[in-house]
Amino acid sequence: MSQRRTFADQSFSCVFGGLTLLGLLILVGPVFIVLITSFTTSASLRFPPPELSLKWYQALFDTTQSAHIHRAAGNSLWVASMATLGASILAVLAALAIGRSRRPAARALEASFLSPLILPSLAYGLATLMFFALLGLRPSLTHLIGGHLVVIAPFVFRTTLATVTQLEPALLESSASLGAGRFMTFRRITLPLIAPGIFAGAFLAFVASMDNVPVSLFLSSARTDMLPIRMWGMMESTLDVRVAAVSGVLILVILVLMFVMDRLTGLTRRMSF
Amino acid sequence: MASRRLFLAGMAGVLAAPSIARASGSMTAAIYPGTWDEAYRAIVAPLLRQNHNVNVAFEPLFAVDQVAKVRAARGVAPFDCFVLDPGPAAAARQAGLFEQIDPKLITNAGNLPAGMLTADSATVNVQVVGICYNPKKFPEPPKSWADLFRSPYVERLGLTGFQTTFGTVSLIEMAKVFGGSTTNVEPIFAKLKEVLPKVAAVSTPAALPGLFQQGQIDIMYTNTNNAATLKGRGVDIAFVAPTEGAITFATTLHIVKGAENKANAHRYIDAALSADAQSKLQLSPFNMIPVNKDVQLAPNLDIKSLDELSKMVTHDWNVINPRRAGWIDRFNREITK
Amino acid sequence: MRAAAVDWRLAAPLGIVYLALFAAPLLLLLGISLHADQDLQQWGLDNWTKFWGDAFYRGVVWDTLRLGVAAVLVTSLFAWPLALFFCNASPRTQKVLIFIILLPLLTSVVIRTFAWIVILAREGLVNQVALALGLSATPLRLLQTETGLVLALMQIEMPLMLLPLISVMRGLDPNLLDASRALGAGMWRSFFRVILPLSLPGWIAGATLVFASACTAFISQSVIGGARLVYLPSLIWQQAMVVYDWPFAAVCSVTLLLTVLAGIMMLNWLGRYARTD
Repeated sequence: MSQRRTFADQSFSCVFGGLTLLGLLILVGPVFIVLITSFTTSASLRFPPPELSLKWYQALFDTTQSAHIHRAAGNSLWVASMATLGASILAVLAALAIGRSRRPAARALEASFLSPLILPSLAYGLATLMFFALLGLRPSLTHLIGGHLVVIAPFVFRTTLATVTQLEPALLESSASLGAGRFMTFRRITLPLIAPGIFAGAFLAFVASMDNVPVSLFLSSARTDMLPIRMWGMMESTLDVRVAAVSGVLILVILVLMFVMDRLTGLTRRMSF
Repeated sequence: MASRRLFLAGMAGVLAAPSIARASGSMTAAIYPGTWDEAYRAIVAPLLRQNHNVNVAFEPLFAVDQVAKVRAARGVAPFDCFVLDPGPAAAARQAGLFEQIDPKLITNAGNLPAGMLTADSATVNVQVVGICYNPKKFPEPPKSWADLFRSPYVERLGLTGFQTTFGTVSLIEMAKVFGGSTTNVEPIFAKLKEVLPKVAAVSTPAALPGLFQQGQIDIMYTNTNNAATLKGRGVDIAFVAPTEGAITFATTLHIVKGAENKANAHRYIDAALSADAQSKLQLSPFNMIPVNKDVQLAPNLDIKSLDELSKMVTHDWNVINPRRAGWIDRFNREITK
Repeated sequence: MRAAAVDWRLAAPLGIVYLALFAAPLLLLLGISLHADQDLQQWGLDNWTKFWGDAFYRGVVWDTLRLGVAAVLVTSLFAWPLALFFCNASPRTQKVLIFIILLPLLTSVVIRTFAWIVILAREGLVNQVALALGLSATPLRLLQTETGLVLALMQIEMPLMLLPLISVMRGLDPNLLDASRALGAGMWRSFFRVILPLSLPGWIAGATLVFASACTAFISQSVIGGARLVYLPSLIWQQAMVVYDWPFAAVCSVTLLLTVLAGIMMLNWLGRYARTD
């Protein structure tokens, strides 16, 4: 039976198609502006650029001229990697702990483990600064890792929990009935099944850590300079084009990372919160 | 380009210096983000390494953030040296956040005008605040603070409140024009209320350069360093001192109470005051008005001699500070839609 | 299905880290808000009464809530069409789309504000188009308006809404829609009667994140919104970093926390109401 396209259906396609197009435009437009600006020849951030060149990328990769940016990027990478690693281990354990439970205690734990996601991070940054200060600790990368870990752990927790709840209980039971121990079952059955969820969450967590301003703003220091804070300083008052170039590099790196991870784990299919 | 050469020269100094492992010491200093960060990294840091084998790490923070951070740390100094404007400096002094500076350790003390080195502060740069405008849009610049509130200027004006030093002192001067004083800024609030529907933007100070560059605003009040830096980066901007007189204030270095590296902090302050550093800091793209009497003023600065400073308007921050919180709150209320 | 118990041994590590690095600092914040003086010597509710007794501050709370709701509404308007488009696309296109959806997260918030100045400014892209097409005789005021801010927030919040929505919609049985169509329901009716209700759990998850994030997006609020739009985060910033009134900043922070929680509970209540409907 063929369906006639009614006026109503056409209007649906028009409205939804239009919104989709506009939505895509709003998503990518600003990013394109940043990318185009990063290729400018002018001495400051200016759009549209008078001419295109790679000079700001050269300046960015210059090891003497941009040494402080490199150091900040190195710190950010280290903090993001460590925080993501720590958050992944802790969050996966927590997801396994409550994943198959329907009890109120499990719901309460889930809500509290997710709560940093909805936390005003500016308030949290201030609170952590005062907290570490009260303990008499000097600023260090370890504090930053701790602060970031709390803020990004919910990403891994959420995606992992989603995959754990979809686990077939029969599968685990049959494994146990065949004499496999708890650890054996985890390593051979559970882990491979939930790995994509872990990877997707870890990816989002890593990205969130790299771009975190509020926590870093309060916890970073002269010896623990972080990339977004450094970029903020460069952007204000001097309109330094290298800020745009950093974004260009980050986008490229993450594009490659996504491509590789997609090949390895089917990342894009698991990219959910 | 002279600035680029200078920059590279500074960087060559970094390269020539031996690796961190051989340095006899290190220290950390807060520094304003942007120009100050770049300037001190390129000029003062290599000098300090050359002369004393001390490595300085910089933490970019605005004045108020520095004070907040040290206060929050409650005795555990998060860095060794402040760089502050008079308002935050007065507040930090009241809160007891400064160590004493030992003048015997400052070899350049003799080259400074009177009052620039005190028991707990060292002036390293003076700032001059006035009106900035886009000369392409306005061949006839606004002449006075009052002009900012008249057509055609007011429609292109970018306003900023009492959060910054330059914002606070500018608004006080505007208040004076309309009949107010340092203790009574009521007239400017009345005026603001009147012009708010017309002004191009009311913005956080940090966003002003971007707004100016992209043509959202064509007139703002700021200091000469900012103006010269933007000009050096190809932005159409010019500085004009209002007929009522430009405003000046000092930027000071201080040692943080309980600093880890007190001796090196003294060396750092001394290096920043040296004629060598000051004569380079005044050049484009940094444009910092020097205080060392041995330094010949460069032509890119918007003043010809340090004597001009004595004719400019100054403010007593011990009067301003207790009122400022109220003004900030008031500004919020008046401008909120 | 058997309801398994919570395995407390596995939950403990994250729980302990949260208690030490998350709950403790926040309790400290609450403690500071209960001090009457800036030197934190005297306990008292003075700052709470100062905040809630003032119509201006209550107005700021209300504006912050409204901003969050506006961001959720505008994001939702675009999210469902985009999610439908995604679900109907080929696997290859889906991969490209995922990258596009994630793009806003990959550009630093710092530089993104610059892009929005370029777009919304007086001589910006939107105004150039509007003037060229004769849609407007004078430049539109977009920057530093609520409209501009919500638009900018929408771009950055969109991934937070889309990812959960897509993951739920992809789990829907495609036969449902076919069945609805076969029964003669038009696209509009199928969408509102089948897709919308079934994808609601994903929307609630997304809306929660968007709401929380929009309420606390300090940099976007202050740069794109401008100084004339005052929200709780900029109040926190001013009180903590400019005025040094820490107890009052703590009051603002705890208020922001409660505001966001209230909004989220409202969303969840809405969701439950819709599901039982």
